[in-house]
Amino acid sequence: MSLIHYAWSFARRRALLALSAVAIALGVAVLFTVLAVLNGFLAQFEGTMRDFSGDLTVRPLPSAWGGSQEIETYFDSIHSVQGVATVEARLNWFGLVGRRGSRALSDPRSSDLNGLLLVGIDDFDWKPQDDPNALPPLRLGHAAATRMGVSPGDTLEVISFQPRPGRAPIPARLSFSVVESFSSGQHDQDLDRALVPRSSLLPLTQLKTPFTELVIRVNDGIDPESLQTSIQEQLEQDGLARPSWPSVQTWRDNAGNFLRAVENQRGMLVMMFFFIVLVAAYQLVATLTLTVTEKRRDIGVLGALGATPGRIIRFWVSLGTLVSFFGVSLGLGLGYLLTSNLKSIELILGGGEKIFLPEIYQFEEIPVLIDTYSVALLAGATLAAGLVFSLIPAWRAARRPILQAMIRR
Amino acid sequence: MNNSTTPVLDARGLEKSFCMGASQLRVLRGVDLALHSGEVCALRGTSGSGKSTLLHLLGLLDTTDVGSLHLAGLDCTKLGRTAAARQRAKQVGFVFQQFQLLPELDALQNVLMPRRLACGWSWWSRRRDEYARAKQILSKVGLSERMSHRPTQLSGGEQQRVAVARALVSKPALLLADEPTGNLDTQTGNDVLALLLGLAREQGAAVLLATHSRSLADACDREILLVDGKLEML
Repeated sequence: MSLIHYAWSFARRRALLALSAVAIALGVAVLFTVLAVLNGFLAQFEGTMRDFSGDLTVRPLPSAWGGSQEIETYFDSIHSVQGVATVEARLNWFGLVGRRGSRALSDPRSSDLNGLLLVGIDDFDWKPQDDPNALPPLRLGHAAATRMGVSPGDTLEVISFQPRPGRAPIPARLSFSVVESFSSGQHDQDLDRALVPRSSLLPLTQLKTPFTELVIRVNDGIDPESLQTSIQEQLEQDGLARPSWPSVQTWRDNAGNFLRAVENQRGMLVMMFFFIVLVAAYQLVATLTLTVTEKRRDIGVLGALGATPGRIIRFWVSLGTLVSFFGVSLGLGLGYLLTSNLKSIELILGGGEKIFLPEIYQFEEIPVLIDTYSVALLAGATLAAGLVFSLIPAWRAARRPILQAMIRR
Repeated sequence: MNNSTTPVLDARGLEKSFCMGASQLRVLRGVDLALHSGEVCALRGTSGSGKSTLLHLLGLLDTTDVGSLHLAGLDCTKLGRTAAARQRAKQVGFVFQQFQLLPELDALQNVLMPRRLACGWSWWSRRRDEYARAKQILSKVGLSERMSHRPTQLSGGEQQRVAVARALVSKPALLLADEPTGNLDTQTGNDVLALLLGLAREQGAAVLLATHSRSLADACDREILLVDGKLEML
C-alpha cells in the first residue's frame, strides 16, 4: 500500500478532483489538436516545397566572375559530393502572358494582365527539329489556368525582354501551346508559374550559362542542410563558386520568411493554448487546498502514525500529479479523437460546408501530423505544472501542527 | 513486566502551558513518569486535567516547555518534526477514542499504513512480509473476514479493533491509548480492552491508558492519577 495507492483511493472518491482532471484534459486536447494541425501544415508545406524546389538549389557564379558556361562541369562537381541523388537544371525567366488575341498584351490598362515566372525545365518530350512550326508546350499552374480561363490546346502568348549588355532590352514575343495544368499544392505557386521546355527559353535569354539554378535532390534520410557546406566547398574547389557568393541554398533558405512566419504562428498559438492548460492546472491549487481543509483530520492521523512533513508533501504532490496524469491521458485521448475526425468536425461546425476553403488555405483537407516529441513535451509540461501547483497545498498540509489537524470542530 | 532494565519511557519534570488570550494555562506542572517494557499503566484524572496533553507529549505529538523525555533510549526532548515523526513511526502506537481510521482505506490498508510510513523505501522489498504481518494481526483481533471492509462498513467495536491492530502492527515500545473504550458500549469496550492489553503484553509493549473508568484502571498493572498538573501514584 503506497502513498500513490492511498492518493488513488482518495482521488477516485472526489468528484472535484475528477473535474480538475477534466479541465486539464480539455486544455491538453485543444493544444494537442492545434499542435497536430500546425505540424501537419508545416509538414505538408515542406513536402510540396521540396517536391517543386528540390532540397537544395545552386545559383551559378556570374559569368563576369569567371563562372563556367558548361553545365556538365557543375553536374560533375555536384555529383562528386556523397549523398546527392539528382541534379536538374532550370532556367527561370519572367514574362507577361495572355491568350492569343487577348487585349491584355496590347493594352497595358487591361486588368487581364498576368505576370508569370516561366520555369524552363528538361522534363518535356519536345524536339523543335521534328516540326519547326510546332509551338513549344507549356504547363500552367492550375490556379492560373482557372483564372485565365485557359485549357489544354489553347495558345498563350508571352511578352518578355531580351537583355543586351549596355543597351536597352528588346521586347520579345513567344507563343506556347498549353498542354496541361499542374497543381503543386502551393496556391501562390500555381498562380504565377508556368513550366516550359528549357530549350525554348534559351534564344530569349541570351545567357552564356544556360540555366539560372540547379535543383538538387538528396538521398533519402540525408538532411539537406548537412550537404549545403560540402557542395559549396566542392564548387569553390572546382572554381564554380566563391566564398563571397552564396551559391548553395536549402529549401529552408528559399522559403525562409514563410516558414519563419508559420513557425512563429505555431509558437504563439502553442504559448496561448498552453496558458489555458496552465489555468486548468492552476485549478489544482484551489481544489487541493479545499481538499487539504477537508482532509485536515486525516493529515493529522497520518502525522500521528509517523508521517514526516516530507511524506505528507509527497502524498499531496502524488495526488496532484495523479490528477494531472489522468487529465493529460484523457486530454491526449480526446485530442487524438479530435484530430482523427477533423473532417467530420469541420463539416458539423460549418453546417455541411467546409470552413477552411482550399483556395484560401491551400489544402484540400486539414493536414494533421502527430509529432511524438511535441506530444511528449506537452504531456511533460502539463505534468510538471500539476506538480508545481500541488506543492502549495502540499506545503500547507505539511506544516499544519498534528494536534491542531486532528482536533476537528 | 520487567523493572530491572532501562525504562522504555522516562519523562522528568514535564511542564506544558497554553496561551489563553492574555493568560497562561499551566496544564502540566512537572510530571515525572517511567514506564518499563510490558508494563500496563492506567492514567486517570478528571476531564480537563491534562491526560490527553500528557499523552501527546509522551507520544511526541507535541513538545514540552520544560523537562526531559527519553523514549526507547533516545533523548526526544528537542526532536524536530521529522525526527519526531520517525521516532513515532518506530516506537509509538496510538489508540484514540474516535478510532481515527482513514475512511478511504479498507481495514487491511489502514493497518498497513504505519508500516508503510516506518519502512520508507525499503517497503518495496518488504511489502510481502508486511502484508502477511498485517493480516496476521487483523486475524488476532478477530477481523480476518473484514479486511477488505472500509471503516464505514464496520461497527464501532470493529473499528476500534482495527485501530488496535494498527497501533500494534509495528510492535511499538510504547502504546498510548486515549479513552480507547469511550465510544463503545460496556461489553464491546471490555472486549476491545482485553484484546488491546493481551496483544500489548504479548508484544512486551509499555502501555499508558488514559481513562475515566475505574474498572478499566483495575485491569492495569498500576494506576496513576493526574491532579493539578502533577502525577500521584495510587
